[in-house]
Amino acid sequence: MIAQLRQSLRALQKPAGIDADAGPLPLGIAAIDLALGGGLARGALHEIAAAGEAHITAAAGFALGLAPAGARLVWIAEDMARAESGAPYGPGLEAFGLLPERLLTVAGARRCDLLWAMEEALRCRAIAAVIGEVRHGEIDPVAVRRLSLAAAQSGALALLLRAAPPRDASTAATRWIVGAAPSSPSPGSGGSTAERSEGGRGGVIYEKSSPPPGALTRADLPLSGGGERESCFAVQLTRNRRGPLGAWMLQWSDSDERFVPATHAQPVAAPAADRPHRKVA
Amino acid sequence: MLSLWLRQLPTDRIERLRDSFLSLPLRERVAAPLVVYGKRGNAELLTAVDDAAERLGLSPGLALAQARAMHPGIEAIAEDAEADSQLLEAIADWCLRYTPLVACDAPDGLLLDISGCAHLYGGEDALVADLAGRLEAAGFAYRTAIAGSIGAAYAAAHHGAPGRYACGQERALLSPLPLTALRLEPGTAAALARVGLKHIGNIIDLPRAPLTARFGADLLRQLDRALGNEHEPLTPRLPVAPYVAEQRFAEPIAREEDVLAIVARLAGRLQLALERRGDGARRIELTLFRTDGALRRLAAGCSRPLRDPAQIRALFSERLHALADVLDPGFGFDMARLSVVVAEPCPPEQIGIGGTEDDAELDRLVDRLSARLGARRVRRPVAQDSHIPEIAGSCVPAQLTGTDDGWVAFHRYRAQADLAPRPLRLLMRPEPIEAMAEVPDGPPLRFRWRRALHEVIAAEGPERIEGAWWSEHGGDSLGNLARDYFRVEDKSGLRFWLFRAGLYRDLAQGAAAPTWFLHGTFG
Repeated sequence: MIAQLRQSLRALQKPAGIDADAGPLPLGIAAIDLALGGGLARGALHEIAAAGEAHITAAAGFALGLAPAGARLVWIAEDMARAESGAPYGPGLEAFGLLPERLLTVAGARRCDLLWAMEEALRCRAIAAVIGEVRHGEIDPVAVRRLSLAAAQSGALALLLRAAPPRDASTAATRWIVGAAPSSPSPGSGGSTAERSEGGRGGVIYEKSSPPPGALTRADLPLSGGGERESCFAVQLTRNRRGPLGAWMLQWSDSDERFVPATHAQPVAAPAADRPHRKVA
Repeated sequence: MLSLWLRQLPTDRIERLRDSFLSLPLRERVAAPLVVYGKRGNAELLTAVDDAAERLGLSPGLALAQARAMHPGIEAIAEDAEADSQLLEAIADWCLRYTPLVACDAPDGLLLDISGCAHLYGGEDALVADLAGRLEAAGFAYRTAIAGSIGAAYAAAHHGAPGRYACGQERALLSPLPLTALRLEPGTAAALARVGLKHIGNIIDLPRAPLTARFGADLLRQLDRALGNEHEPLTPRLPVAPYVAEQRFAEPIAREEDVLAIVARLAGRLQLALERRGDGARRIELTLFRTDGALRRLAAGCSRPLRDPAQIRALFSERLHALADVLDPGFGFDMARLSVVVAEPCPPEQIGIGGTEDDAELDRLVDRLSARLGARRVRRPVAQDSHIPEIAGSCVPAQLTGTDDGWVAFHRYRAQADLAPRPLRLLMRPEPIEAMAEVPDGPPLRFRWRRALHEVIAAEGPERIEGAWWSEHGGDSLGNLARDYFRVEDKSGLRFWLFRAGLYRDLAQGAAAPTWFLHGTFG
């Protein structure tokens, strides 16, 4: 009887912001989910490093894609990271299924401020995911351990975003190296793109060496490209506590708001310059 | 009303400075009558003299050359009005321990409205004695007077006998004093002296109309104010907080835990007052008075009206952590004051139902982060009604955002207008790039950003955003130019948001050649 009451009490006291029993966050790609043992573990720290300085936004996009859709998110960045790579831009977050009104950005002048703020944010029950962006240099393993513990306690997702592949050993649950990959026009998007462009998209898509339009009025311009380009990521899992490592090409699907395997598994050559463009009816 | 006149402020300042780094015997040796001089018109006049110089017969207003001729041994130092006014402000802050209503009476006086505060010290005399003791210990020459009106207190402190004058005694007090005690324009006082009117008593009973006609309305207004017939408002140096709680200590405290304990106790007292009026604190300031007269001020803001002492204590705990070594207690603090600078109605709300608890949790997090890192470092994006990208999605301090941050309208607009994609990260300001385009109006073929060359393989655009030509301050010089935005992808798959500022068709009208900028990056 008492045990039953205790259990119901525990259910009532469950953090409101996070569904603690929800288990890991599946990415929706069988190969990766298998490697991760069902999906990305909540309540753990994951390191996401950019393949190079320039790829930091791709890594940030990957991190945002991992966060549960519509989650309340805190993005903590060092001042230098904001100055170099720019600040998170509200209207752009929507592309990754997040609501800008649920984002809180924090700037830390020093590394210790950033780590402290991450820990504070992880301890807050209203927060579902915390992204900490650091630039260079090693991170104190004790601090990483503290963050992991704080995440485990609250069940929030802790993501450490780094500007370059780190060389130090990691105590995080997983470590990813993410870079941008050349995108391909999304498959079978001929019809859907045409529909969308009729919906009022002011721009025009064209590939290199396509005939340059003189006057850019939508009425007399056919859609010249092969369709919408979706963000592609070259993702490498270099540390995984629960299973094997791997490397994948992923693509963020705007319509499904999740990752899907890229239509081309490996980077391919740029499309032939003289390929005649399909006219969209 | 208490008027405090620091009659030798400049020389006291210099002597205090010397005291701090000269040993006593050395000071005796260099001690010479000290005067401070400044330029008035074309002449260098004495502006302040110390006691020794006063005994030699020197007084402010004397020409420096004359003073030097009379007494070659004096030491003359040029005035530093900036330092003097800073010192005066520091003293004014220190005087906040007596009353929250302190005004600077430049250049060397202070006005304290002590009505309703004197009993805390055991009466006006005791308050003045306390003030006098502390000023003497700090090495200031001073004169004080208490009177019913600002004018009378000023006149008594500067020209009359220091002391305490009850309301109604103004006439007797003012009559023998010179007219300059009324704080008149120098020209008016001189004109009055020319016709033989030298004391206030001379003009009190004169017919008013001829006086006004001849000397202006200012004379009688100052007289009425001094006599208490007309109210003169005091403009306090700092805004007066609606809620204040303070505590004096018999023994100075220095430890951080003690300070926090005092914060909690004072917050407990404020809580009662706040509850009675249904208010909550949005901004709280803690003032710590150090024994040597220095002041420490710490402020903390809150996202929502707050009353709970424990939470207020937690905020200041973060503030103290952020300072760590800056809260230099010296020999300890002998008084602490907690004031609610900004209060807002705090509706009673039920806790624990629906999403409110979540929001409250978040607000507490925001407050903690803001207290430690500074309110400007904790931000929340807001959507604003603008087409200029950097304005449309700017971030504002999270404690200041209201209930409507504009996103509801933005989502609705976005669903209708099918906006082109926006980058994930926006650079602080658009960075100029060297770009080469195939056709003037087309996207670039390649561009150089931060010394790296990017080969464009695909581009989407343009999306034209017209500049805010109607606005004088549409930002910097870029703000008023039309921009053509392109979303481009380079060979390695990096995605950028570029724009060309300016249009080629405007070249004919003498506009500068369009330039390229990189504004953001896509994930």
